[in-house]
Amino acid sequence: MADLSTISFTLNGRPVTARIAPHHTVVEVLQNEFGLFGARESCGQGLCGCCTVRVDGDPVSGCLFLAAFLEGTRVDTVESLARGGVPSVVQQAFIEAGAFQCGFCTPGFIMMTERLLEEHPDPDEDLIRHYLSGNLCRCGTYPEIVAAVQLAARRKSEARLDKAS
Amino acid sequence: MIPFQLAEPASFAEAVRLIDPEDPTCRAVSGGTAMMLMMKSGVFQPSKLVSLRKVEPEYAAFTVSSDGALQAGALVRLGQLERSEAVRAAFPVLADTFPVLSNVRVRNVATVGGNLAHADPHMDLPPVLMALGAHITATGPSGSRTIALTELFRGYYETALEPGELISGLSVPAQAGRRSAYVKCTTRSAHDWPALGVAVSLAVTGGTIQDARIVLSAAVETPTRMTDAEAALKGAPIGEEAFRAAGEAAAKAAEVTSDVRGSAPYKTQLVRVNVVRALRKALAAEGAV
Amino acid sequence: MSVTLLKTHPLMPNGQVGRDVPRLESMAKVTGREDYTHNLRLPGMLHAKIVRSTVAHGRILSIHTEEAAAVPGVHSVVTCADIRTIIPEPYFGPAFHDQPILADGKVRYVGEAVCVVLSHDPHIADAAAQLVLVDYEELPAVYDEVEAATSNVYVHETLKPAGTFPDLKHLEGKRDTNVALDYRLIRGDAEAAFAQAAHVFEHDFTTQQVMHTPFEPMISVGEPTSTGLTIYTASQSPSFVRIEMARLLKWPENRIRVKTSHLGGGFGAKLYIKLEALAAALALYTGRPVRVALTMEEQFYTITKHATTFRIKSGVDTDGKVIARRCDVWWNGGAYADIGPRVTQKSGFTAAGPYDIDNVYLESVAVYTNRPPAGALRGFGIPQLVWAYESHTDLIARGIGMDPVEFRRKNILRDGRPHATGTVMKDAAIPEVLERTAERIGWDKAFDRGTGTIRRGRGIAIGFKASISPTTSVAIVNVSADGSVTLYSSTVDMGQGSDTAMAQIVAEVLNVPTEGVCVVRPDTDVTPYDMATLGSRSTFHMGNAVRLAAEDAKKKLDDLAAELGLPERSNIPVDQLFKKRYGMQAGNVIGIGSFIPTYKSPDHDTGLSDNVTPFWMIGATAVEIEVDTETGHVTVTRMVNVCDVGTPLNPKVVETQISGAAVMQYGFTMSEKMELDAGQVTNASLADYKIPSILDIPPLMESEAVVATQHSGPFGAKGVGESATFGVSPAIANAIEDAVGVRITSLPITPEAVYRAMRAAANQPLEDF
Repeated sequence: MADLSTISFTLNGRPVTARIAPHHTVVEVLQNEFGLFGARESCGQGLCGCCTVRVDGDPVSGCLFLAAFLEGTRVDTVESLARGGVPSVVQQAFIEAGAFQCGFCTPGFIMMTERLLEEHPDPDEDLIRHYLSGNLCRCGTYPEIVAAVQLAARRKSEARLDKAS
Repeated sequence: MIPFQLAEPASFAEAVRLIDPEDPTCRAVSGGTAMMLMMKSGVFQPSKLVSLRKVEPEYAAFTVSSDGALQAGALVRLGQLERSEAVRAAFPVLADTFPVLSNVRVRNVATVGGNLAHADPHMDLPPVLMALGAHITATGPSGSRTIALTELFRGYYETALEPGELISGLSVPAQAGRRSAYVKCTTRSAHDWPALGVAVSLAVTGGTIQDARIVLSAAVETPTRMTDAEAALKGAPIGEEAFRAAGEAAAKAAEVTSDVRGSAPYKTQLVRVNVVRALRKALAAEGAV
Repeated sequence: MSVTLLKTHPLMPNGQVGRDVPRLESMAKVTGREDYTHNLRLPGMLHAKIVRSTVAHGRILSIHTEEAAAVPGVHSVVTCADIRTIIPEPYFGPAFHDQPILADGKVRYVGEAVCVVLSHDPHIADAAAQLVLVDYEELPAVYDEVEAATSNVYVHETLKPAGTFPDLKHLEGKRDTNVALDYRLIRGDAEAAFAQAAHVFEHDFTTQQVMHTPFEPMISVGEPTSTGLTIYTASQSPSFVRIEMARLLKWPENRIRVKTSHLGGGFGAKLYIKLEALAAALALYTGRPVRVALTMEEQFYTITKHATTFRIKSGVDTDGKVIARRCDVWWNGGAYADIGPRVTQKSGFTAAGPYDIDNVYLESVAVYTNRPPAGALRGFGIPQLVWAYESHTDLIARGIGMDPVEFRRKNILRDGRPHATGTVMKDAAIPEVLERTAERIGWDKAFDRGTGTIRRGRGIAIGFKASISPTTSVAIVNVSADGSVTLYSSTVDMGQGSDTAMAQIVAEVLNVPTEGVCVVRPDTDVTPYDMATLGSRSTFHMGNAVRLAAEDAKKKLDDLAAELGLPERSNIPVDQLFKKRYGMQAGNVIGIGSFIPTYKSPDHDTGLSDNVTPFWMIGATAVEIEVDTETGHVTVTRMVNVCDVGTPLNPKVVETQISGAAVMQYGFTMSEKMELDAGQVTNASLADYKIPSILDIPPLMESEAVVATQHSGPFGAKGVGESATFGVSPAIANAIEDAVGVRITSLPITPEAVYRAMRAAANQPLEDF
C-alpha cells in the first residue's frame, strides 16, 4: 500500500485538509472525504466531462487529476454555485431551457459554461459548440444546452447593463 | 489504479536525479492526463511517479520575442499558450489548432513537454510544431541538448529521448512571414482522434512558393515530413496545379496504416485531398481558394 | 442550432396537463445534488471487481484465486461454486433462464463474469483481480447471426425458456440449435402474389452491434437485512428484479426490497435483471453490503443492441402498389437471450412496415452467438427494421420511377385498415406524420443540389412500433390531511421526465399545482407493482393507472364531503375536510389505480392477432445532407423529426425526448460500432467508441408532434421516448442516394463506406493494398 499523506486546499471557499494516497483522484476525494457527488466519473477518460471541477479557476477533469496535485490550490465544484437555495444564472438558464434529461452530465456542462461566460461573455454558437465539445450528453440534449448557454449569456449581459446604468 | 509512490521535487535537476533510467516503472509526470489514461487502463503500472509540478517556476513560463519567436518551459500548459495574444499573433496556426486539440479541460492541464514526450501519433500539436520548425531541449543526467522536432519522433509512442532524459523546454522560431495551416480530418465524430492530420508551412514571395514543409500525422506511425511533396512545391506558382501535385506526391510517399478510423487506401485518399486543402487554407490570404 | 415544436397542443382545464412544467427534480440536477444509486455508500460495504473471460467460448479448467486472496485487504474471491451455496440454481434471465450469475464451468463470450474479488478498497480489489488466473479449454465460436442460425457450433447445450411466455414453451429442452425464437407471420399468399407482381425487388441490409453507454454506469448494491435483503440498484424494472430474485432465492417477494433512485440514463441497458443477482448473492454470501459498480468499459460486456441481417423482398403492381412482401430477419442475440426473443417477436411482427400489404410472409429469428448479450435499446428492435424497410421502400420508388413520398402515400397504412397481423389500425396518425414531415422539409419545393465537390440531397423515412403487451401498472395516490399529494409508482425516471408527467396527471385530476406533488422513488416495499420502464409504455400504462388512482382519491374526497353532509361542489379546502372528519390534522385518503390493456396473443402458426397492441407509436425523419465527393464525408445540415405521441402531457419534455432520441439514433447511424476481434470488443471506451458530441449533431433540428389523440391514453397521451429513433438511419441513407446516387446498406454510414460506394459506382473501385 502506498503511504497516506495530508493535503490542504481551499474547497468551495473554505480551507480543508484531506488524507489521501498518491493514486487517489480528485473525484474520489471529493466523494469519499467531502460527500460531494456533483463531480462524478462516467467515461473515466476525461471525455464526457461529468467529473468537471475548477482548480484555480480552470475547469479540469477530476477523474484524471491526482488528488495530490490539489495541495495549495483553490477547488470549486458545482455545489458552490447555488447560494441560499438560489441557482446561479447559468443553472437557472439550464432549468428554463430544459437543458438536461438524466442529469448525470449536467454539473459538468454547467461548470464549463460558467467558465466559458467568464472568458467570452458573448459567445457565438460556433464558440459555444467548440468550448463544450469535450462534454458529452448521452440523452442528446445538445440543442437545449446551446439555448441555455445563450439564455445565460443574455441574462448576464442584461445584469451588467443594469449595473452600469 | 494500482497504488504507487509519488515524489514532488522542488527543482528540475532533482527530478532528473530521482528518475531511475533503468526502471521503466519510474517516470516523470507533469499534467498527467495521458499518463492517467494509461494508468487507469492498466497499460502503465508505475512504481514511482516523479511530479514536475513543484519545480522552479521558470519551467512553467514562456516568452514571445519581439520578432515572434517562442521560448517555453516544458511545464507551460497548452491553455496558457492558447490564451496568449502574443502567441496567437505570432502563430495564427496555433490559435486555429487549439480549439480542435482535445478539449478545454485537457488543454488546461496538459503541458508542452508532456504532450511532445508522449509521442502518440494521433496528437495535433506535434505535426504543427514540426511544420513551424520547432526544437525541444532535453535534459538528462549528463546535461542538456537540443533536438529538432523532426528528429524527436522515432516511432509509435517512441522518441529520441534517452532513458532518464526529460523535455525541459520548447523553442519555436519566428515565422518571418511564413504561412501555415493545420487540417484535422476525423472520420467518426468531431471529438475523435484524427484519422489524418496535415500541417503545412510555406515561405512565399510574390506568387511563388519558395519553401514548403508538409507534415502528416495520425494516418502514419509517427509525424512525418513529406519531402517529395515539399519538393513538388518548391519554386512552383501558388495554385491548384501545384497543390494537386503535392497531394499526389504525399499520397504516393506516405506509409499509411489501417485502423478503425479507416483503411489504408481510404486514408491515402484523405492524404491526397487534405494536403491540397491544407495548402489552400494556408494560402487563402494569397487568393488561393 | 434550433429546436422548434409546433405549440398546437391543448392545455387541460386545470392547467396542469399540457403545460411545460420544468422537471420536478431540476434543482437537484443542476446543483449536483441528485441522489443517484452511484452515490450510495453503506457502512462496512465491500467493493466487487469482476474478473472477466478472455476467450469467446471455452470450458473453464481451473480458476487460481490463491494469489489474489492473499493480497492484504482482500476480503474474498468468489466463484460460481460459492454462489451456489446461496443460490443452488444460479441462472437468471427474463425470457430464458440461461445466464449464470458467474460463469458455471463454461464461458460463452469475451468479457463474461467469471469470478469476483471483494475488498473494502476498490483499488485493492482492482489490483488483486489482475492476479486471478483462469485456464480455459477453448472451443470453436460463432459470431455472425446468419451463420449461427445453421452452425453446428452451439452456444448452449439446451434451451431453457423461462416459462412465463407461452410462445417459448415449445423450445423447452431443445438441443443442437442456436435459434432462441422463431417467429413467423403469414398473411395472404405472398408467393402467389410475387408471381403476379410487375416488379420484384429484393435487398439485404445489416446493422451493427452498439451499446447504450448510459452515463451513470450500471450499479447494484446488495445489503443483507434482518428480514432478508435490500437491493439498491440503478434499474428500470425494480418489480421484475424483486420477482426474479424471489425465484432465485426461493423466498417470498416480501423478503426482498428493491430501491431505485433517478437513473443517470438507461435506454434499455438497465432492464430486467443485470447486476442485481450478483450483488444480492455476494451480500448474502459475505453478510455485508456489496457494491457492484461497472466502469464504462465493462458496460460493453454486459448488454448491447442486436446486430441484424434483414433480407426483404417486395412485389409491386403496375400502379406502384405493394402487393407482396417477404421479410427474413436474423437477430444477433449474443451469448445470453436477455429480452432478445421478445424483441424478435414483439417488434418482429412490424417488419413489413407501416404499409397496407395484403400478402406478407415474415420470419424473425433470435440467434445465440458468442458475442456480448443483446437486449433492448431505445426502440426495442424497431430502428433495425425501419433501416431495412425504409431503405428498401426508397429503392423501390426509385426503381419504378415514382417520387418516394408519393410511393409511400400510395401504400401507407391508414386507420381502419388491418395491419399485417390482422389488428385494425386505430389512433395511428401514420399518414399525418408522413405528410407533416414532407411539408416541413419542403419536399415539393425546389432544392439546391450543390456543385463541385459538395453535393446535396434529401431523404425521408417513416416507421412505427407496437407497445409491448400485455403489461400491468399499479399506482397509489395519497392525499394527506393538509391537502398535499404524494404519488407512489414504480415507474423509473431515468431522464425521460416521467416523474413530472405523472405528477401532472395527478395534479390535473385533483386540481392542484404539479410542482407541489411529491413523487416517491420506486421502492418495492412502498411503491406498487409496475412491469418495467421500457418500450415507451409508461406514459400510457402507468399514466392510465395514475389517472385512475387520482380519480379514485378524488372520488373518496367527494365521498368524504358527502359523508360530512357538505353540498356537492362546495369546494371546501381539503385540509378543512380532514379537520372536520378527524377533529385535527390527521388521516389520509388513498386512491388506487391498476391498469392492464386488453390483448390477444398472436397465433403460434400464423402470427396473426386482431388485438396485438394497445397503441401504436409513429415517427418519421426527413434530412437535408451534404456529401463531400472527395472524401465521402456526410454532413446532415437539417433534420426534421415528426412523431405521433398522442396529445403531449408536457410539450417541452416531449420536444426534448424527440430530439434526444434522434441524436442517439444519429450516433448509431454515423459513428457508433462495437469493433470485434475474435469476439473481443476492441473499442470498449468512449475514446474509441464514438458517440455524438455537440459538434456532431445537425445545426438545424426541428421536432414536431402532430395533432393527434390516443383515445385510450391518459388525457389522449401515449409513449414518446423511442419514436424519433425510427426514421433517422434510412432517411440519411436515402438522402445520400439522392445526393450522389449510391446506396449504403450497412450501418454505420462511415465516410469510407460512402467514398468506396462512389468509387465503385464510377467503376474505379478503391483498391486494397
